[in-house]
Amino acid sequence: MTLRLEVLRLWRSKRPQLALLGIAFFLGLMLVGFYTYAQSRTGGNAEFRYTYENRSYFNGLTFAVYAFYFGSLLVLPIFAATEGGVQIAGETSSGTLWLLLTRPVSRARLFASKYLVAAALSVLLVGALLGAALGIGLVAVGWGDLTLYPGVLQMTESRQDLTQAEALFRFALVWPAAALALLAPLSLSFLISAWSRSAVNAVGTAVVVYLVLYIVSEIHFFQELRPWIFTSDVAYWRGFFQERIDWVAMAESAARLLGFSALFTALAYRRFRIREEL
Amino acid sequence: MAVPPRGGNRGERDTRVPLMEAPPLQLAGVTRRFGARTALAGASFEVGPGELIGLVGPNGSGKTTLLKVVAGFLRPDEGQARVFGLDPYRDQARVMERARFAFAPPALFAGLTGREHLVHLARIAAPGSPRVTAAEIDRALETVGLAERGADRVAAYSFGMRQRLALAQALLPRPELLVLDEPTDGLDPLAILELRGVLVRLREEHGTAILLSSHLLVEIESLVDRLLVLSEGRTLFQGTPAELLEGGAHLRLRVSDVERARAALSEHGLRVEIAGGDGRELVLERGAVSLAEAAGCLAARGVALEAFHEERPTLEDALLERLRAAAEARP
Repeated sequence: MTLRLEVLRLWRSKRPQLALLGIAFFLGLMLVGFYTYAQSRTGGNAEFRYTYENRSYFNGLTFAVYAFYFGSLLVLPIFAATEGGVQIAGETSSGTLWLLLTRPVSRARLFASKYLVAAALSVLLVGALLGAALGIGLVAVGWGDLTLYPGVLQMTESRQDLTQAEALFRFALVWPAAALALLAPLSLSFLISAWSRSAVNAVGTAVVVYLVLYIVSEIHFFQELRPWIFTSDVAYWRGFFQERIDWVAMAESAARLLGFSALFTALAYRRFRIREEL
Repeated sequence: MAVPPRGGNRGERDTRVPLMEAPPLQLAGVTRRFGARTALAGASFEVGPGELIGLVGPNGSGKTTLLKVVAGFLRPDEGQARVFGLDPYRDQARVMERARFAFAPPALFAGLTGREHLVHLARIAAPGSPRVTAAEIDRALETVGLAERGADRVAAYSFGMRQRLALAQALLPRPELLVLDEPTDGLDPLAILELRGVLVRLREEHGTAILLSSHLLVEIESLVDRLLVLSEGRTLFQGTPAELLEGGAHLRLRVSDVERARAALSEHGLRVEIAGGDGRELVLERGAVSLAEAAGCLAARGVALEAFHEERPTLEDALLERLRAAAEARP
């Protein structure tokens, strides 16, 4: 019953709908960015729409990969942090947590309901971003085979060629992998939320912590610290776009992310279980 | 009741007390501090089945802290709280199987309708407990005067309507202990009257124990069996409303010569105050003397007693006097 109530409240809060709008806006922005970039690089002679005749390496699948890359690493963690912040700290500041705590429901069940709902939303948002990126790529650019080159985004270390069918299958694998990666910032936001009594503070802190850790994990200067920072692995799903998937490395990254998520969640629950409602 | 130090964690059950025999609410020497400030100091009282206790005190007196201890939101620094024999901090979920709370100000889910609140909250119930029916929900909405607005979202409710809905959710499923924090805030006189009717029915027909907190004694004085008055965290008074009034009567005398009258009465060991107005009225404290005695005393000094009347204070006056006295006694 608690889970049903949480789902209903989430839907009525309009946060999922706003997140979907945010994703649509982000993808629109990415499309404009890609188009203007192509125009400027070709002196206005870009053939933006992919055809087999022009054989441009850039097509709707390339767009989807890069749009999903930025979206999953920068946009979705903000939604996850917001959800975590709202679920406990937001309910504390609005007083509605008391309404739930004065019902015969254990804190464990209450916490689990909130976490499950937030995690389910995160999984759906990952799917929505991926699906929308592919859809927009297909409609606005057109699909073809996927070719990725090494570059600053470290998408790959050498040129990778995947057929369209194989690439679409890899996209399907990316969904659960990226959703798993998003659980870590979501769990971190639950941890911060369990300590905070203000949703704004909880969301702000979770976003800042995530961004700082992400930047640190991307700077080679902090190479030694990388294994200890969960953001080092959040883009591990890129491995699915290699011609030969390194399953061991993928599993290691997934295990590390699961470990961080479990640790953050356990600490968040412990805090939620023993804390007093002032 | 012995007062052991605080101990035990949330979720660790305390099975030492036989639950069926335990009173709905029992506090023994409960003290709670926030840093250097003592919000509640040694509160001790008990609420039996079917009893209605009024918790009264000015803002910041410790009422909400006490209610939070009862709800298990706060852990006492000293003393112990028991609800049906259970420690509410450690066994919060089990306590809530039999107790209902409505805190002030009413916090509700803005996106849900009034009816959805009742449906979903009432169905978060203990395993095996009977399911709250649609008819019961309709009745609860009707009881609080929200039958017509049950389908509206709470975001569109006024403060008074929110207060009513908060009360309705506390009535479903029917509790054995009902704790209401400032339940009359924002209610119109008719709604207050209806609330009183609901509370009376609950205690008389179902034996529900009720703890009612208010900063306005006048709104609950006709309902309560006993009062617990808090001031700056300390228990200022505990007893029946009649006991609060005890000794509160004053004798007001209008005399021909106020100074001679005061001297005469003071010689008899009476504490006399000159009242306001034209300065010809005296007030004798707390019925320390009968009218006949006072008249005789004045006549002996040749002072004419022109008028008199006995002033019986209201419960509110008696409470204010105690609060004033407590404030004056403080260093």
